[in-house]
Amino acid sequence: MKKITRRALAVLLLSAAIIFGMTAFVLRYIDEGSDWALYFARANAGAGGELRDRNGVVLASFDATKSAFADDAETRVACYHVTGDYWNRTGTGALSAYWGSMQEYSLLSGTTKKEPKQFTLTIDASLCRAAWNAIGYNRRGAAMLMNYKTGEVLAMVSLPSVDPINGEAAVADTAFINRCLSAAFPPGSIFKLVTTAAAIEDVPGIFGRQFSCEGEYTIGTVDIHCTGVHGAQGIEQALANSCNSAFAQIAVAAGYNSLYRHVRDYGFLEPLELDGLYSVPGSYRTEYAGDPELAWSGIGQSTDLITPFAMLRYVAAIANDGLLCTPRLILTEEPPETTRLVEESTARKLKEMMSYNVAASYSPQTNFPGLYGLCAKTGTAEVGDGAPHAWFTGFLDDAAHPYAFVVFIEHGGAGLQNAGPAAAAILRAAIAADGR
Amino acid sequence: MTVSKYALIVLSLMIMLRCIRSMLSDRYEPETWASVRFGRESVPVTHWENLIGRSRTADIRIDREGIERIHAVLKRRDNGTWMLYDVFSRGGVSVNGENVDANGAEVLPGDAIRLGNTSLHLQDMSEARRDALDQQRTSAGRKVSPALTLFELTLFELLLLLQHLCTAPRAQTMSIALGFAVLILLEWFCYYAMRLIGRSGFEVETIAFYLTSLGVSVTASAAPQDMFKQTVLILLAFVLFLLLGLWLRDLRRTEAARIAAAVCAVALLGLNLATSDTLNGAKSWLSVAGFSFQPSELVKVGYVYVGAAAMDKLYRRRNLFVFIVFSAVCVGALALIGDFGTALVFFICFLVISFLRSGSIATVFLAVSGAAMAGFLAVSIKPYIARRFATWGHVWEDVYGAGYQQTRALGAAAGGGLFGKGAGGGWLTEIVAADTDMVFAVICEEQGLIIALCMVLAVLTLSFFAVRTARRGRSSYYAIAACAAVSMLMAQMALNVFGSLDLLPFTGVTFPFVSRGGTSLLSCWMLMAFIKGADTRRGGSFVVRPSAELFPSERRLQEKNAAAARKRKGGRGT
Repeated sequence: MKKITRRALAVLLLSAAIIFGMTAFVLRYIDEGSDWALYFARANAGAGGELRDRNGVVLASFDATKSAFADDAETRVACYHVTGDYWNRTGTGALSAYWGSMQEYSLLSGTTKKEPKQFTLTIDASLCRAAWNAIGYNRRGAAMLMNYKTGEVLAMVSLPSVDPINGEAAVADTAFINRCLSAAFPPGSIFKLVTTAAAIEDVPGIFGRQFSCEGEYTIGTVDIHCTGVHGAQGIEQALANSCNSAFAQIAVAAGYNSLYRHVRDYGFLEPLELDGLYSVPGSYRTEYAGDPELAWSGIGQSTDLITPFAMLRYVAAIANDGLLCTPRLILTEEPPETTRLVEESTARKLKEMMSYNVAASYSPQTNFPGLYGLCAKTGTAEVGDGAPHAWFTGFLDDAAHPYAFVVFIEHGGAGLQNAGPAAAAILRAAIAADGR
Repeated sequence: MTVSKYALIVLSLMIMLRCIRSMLSDRYEPETWASVRFGRESVPVTHWENLIGRSRTADIRIDREGIERIHAVLKRRDNGTWMLYDVFSRGGVSVNGENVDANGAEVLPGDAIRLGNTSLHLQDMSEARRDALDQQRTSAGRKVSPALTLFELTLFELLLLLQHLCTAPRAQTMSIALGFAVLILLEWFCYYAMRLIGRSGFEVETIAFYLTSLGVSVTASAAPQDMFKQTVLILLAFVLFLLLGLWLRDLRRTEAARIAAAVCAVALLGLNLATSDTLNGAKSWLSVAGFSFQPSELVKVGYVYVGAAAMDKLYRRRNLFVFIVFSAVCVGALALIGDFGTALVFFICFLVISFLRSGSIATVFLAVSGAAMAGFLAVSIKPYIARRFATWGHVWEDVYGAGYQQTRALGAAAGGGLFGKGAGGGWLTEIVAADTDMVFAVICEEQGLIIALCMVLAVLTLSFFAVRTARRGRSSYYAIAACAAVSMLMAQMALNVFGSLDLLPFTGVTFPFVSRGGTSLLSCWMLMAFIKGADTRRGGSFVVRPSAELFPSERRLQEKNAAAARKRKGGRGT
């Protein structure tokens, strides 16, 4: 029996393994329990919360018995990427970002009930609907509208979208991606605003120089095609013409270092924060690619990628004389925080040029009636897999309606003809909302 | 509600602490059955099965020339007679001059036994002497009153019931109350029945009832409509526990039925394999007359029953070989059924039994490497197993797919904190199979981490107790069976808990006693009978006859001898 007894100690190996495993679990529980619990801290875990837009429209609400979204289907769909859902399917929704602060977790008592917490967003659901309709349900794209004097984001829509109360069966491909934050696209000509800033600061006598365009421009063996034959032009006129030949020369004149520094300093290469939500970084890398690629990158092609949100910040800073009011998604009484993103003189000059763009090239009377002080830039980004992406970005230089905007339509065609009308509709809706 | 939450934790800790003190720290003296005299020395015989030899691990250690390290086995039979077996000794064994082989020979008190060139005498012990020695042993439950522990458990159950009555749907309150009431009555009935037959060791039952009451709580939260069924199953499980325990009292009978048990087990698995349909990737359910059960659960009991062996069998290779074949059939059948979790539980139990029987680490290594190869084969043949391995450690990367259950288990477990949300206050029970596969997390969420850990501690306590009692077990059959039973419970618990918490791949086996599911409950209660079988403390277990009492077969033999003596006397008279 003694022999058996000794061998029986082997059973304790199993016990030891269990003790070891349980210890490992308890340590992980202490370390990660908060993440685990809050990920699933749903309504029935005790706490409650509500998400509203700036006018009090309920976007999402949950309490001990139910979890709900906006009553109106169009609001649910248009605001889906702002709201997010209870299942964390889109990573960049307010529900996902503020879940933790609507719930309470402690190691001792787990998730606990507290006063239902209300979040009021800077979003205006009616403007989201307007933006969603402006792009059109059958197109893919993104639009953002922001008050550049306060940093409040009034609209953020991404298409295709999702009605969160429906199941996943009818969800369009990539619909859970928030194209404003979570995807970066070739910018095309809107990138000329960055190249221009680099030239203003780093190319001496830029405003005295003339750039010729014969319909294309050849660097080494590479032809850079232009949309027209623009002849000799100054940088203002070249921007208004969106002349590729001219900007190829300007980019090479500014050089890689200057362009890269501007792209980096304007935040295009880093994840950018919108009150707890983060964008993906863009890209700009032509360091060793030689002049032809540098020229392409100066007109927003090559490997350039930016997010709509990064562009919005940039034009918002230009509108505010180079000072960026930190973008906000949660409505507060606190005064806006500002940081200098663009040199003041550069910003003023860019604003002037963007205003000239509209007057000289965008037929404001027919295309943008009633939009006083519109400063903008179009973009038509050539892509390998179909029609070009359409961009339109800018702002209203109007103290009564200080709005910066960006509209992006995936494979939407020419920027002015496709993204332009959508931007106009959003701005008109915003002005109308100010009147109410 | 809040007060009851903390009270439940305090009661849990008190119950566990009292059981641990009583089971693991009380004095536990050996029994004495006879003595062996050689030369001037006399050694007490403290087991029914004793290894005689020169080795330190021999039970009767005789350090004389001509005696092997392991020389012979001395075994007491149920009827009080003794058998001597030769265990491959070179020096030989003889009784009254006649050689003894591995089949053994009967030894009567006073017979001249020779091991090599040493002669011994077996001195049997009278009933009165046995009784006197027994009186000096510490009786079970003397230091820690089992009644008080049971009283605490009753309070624990009443508080659980109270919590359920606050949260359960109105229509179900009656059946929930009935379930708890039956459980409490059963406990006290069991306690008084044991007292009536002079048993005061009640810790194993207390732990089983403690876990069962948590299981009742899980049923009340997750499937209150099944409460009545669960109650009936608890009664049935308890009856089976008693019946198996009573059956195990008689070692000869127990051993004789091993072959029959093996045949039944294989037949059950075969029937399962032949008739049942695939459910959730495994064909582990068998429906009989509308009542579905998992044969593999019952086979667990049969496996331990067949796997354990008395010492005279341990030294026969044929016996071990038969066991290995039986194991291979069981594990193979389970793999064919697709129940790889249970197959793994069986395999771990196989390792424990084969190591206890052979003591050979090489055998264990061989078995493990064989199983590893079989495992790789299974992973490559069955894609869903490979998927589970792929998910393991990455559950948060696929919260809506492969990591669905584990992430929810973790989320709910953490949501409960240390003190829990109260019975019926969790959301994990809405998830499919939460009340079986993720039951640790369900208890974690509803009763808090502390009680969930108590649950694990309860099973661990049983394992420490089994190892402790194995030292004093009468027969290696009981010692091996107890160790095998706790290994099975622990393996099952580890796979269940660690699988649901992403520390191991998810397997979907049940947590002993707590997971809802009738067959599992039956088998767990029956495994308890094996643990009780090794408990030889004075008044420790109903499965063990007190040493002072004459055994029925012993009494019959004595009466027969007496009658024969009278007849001889009478014959001489005429």
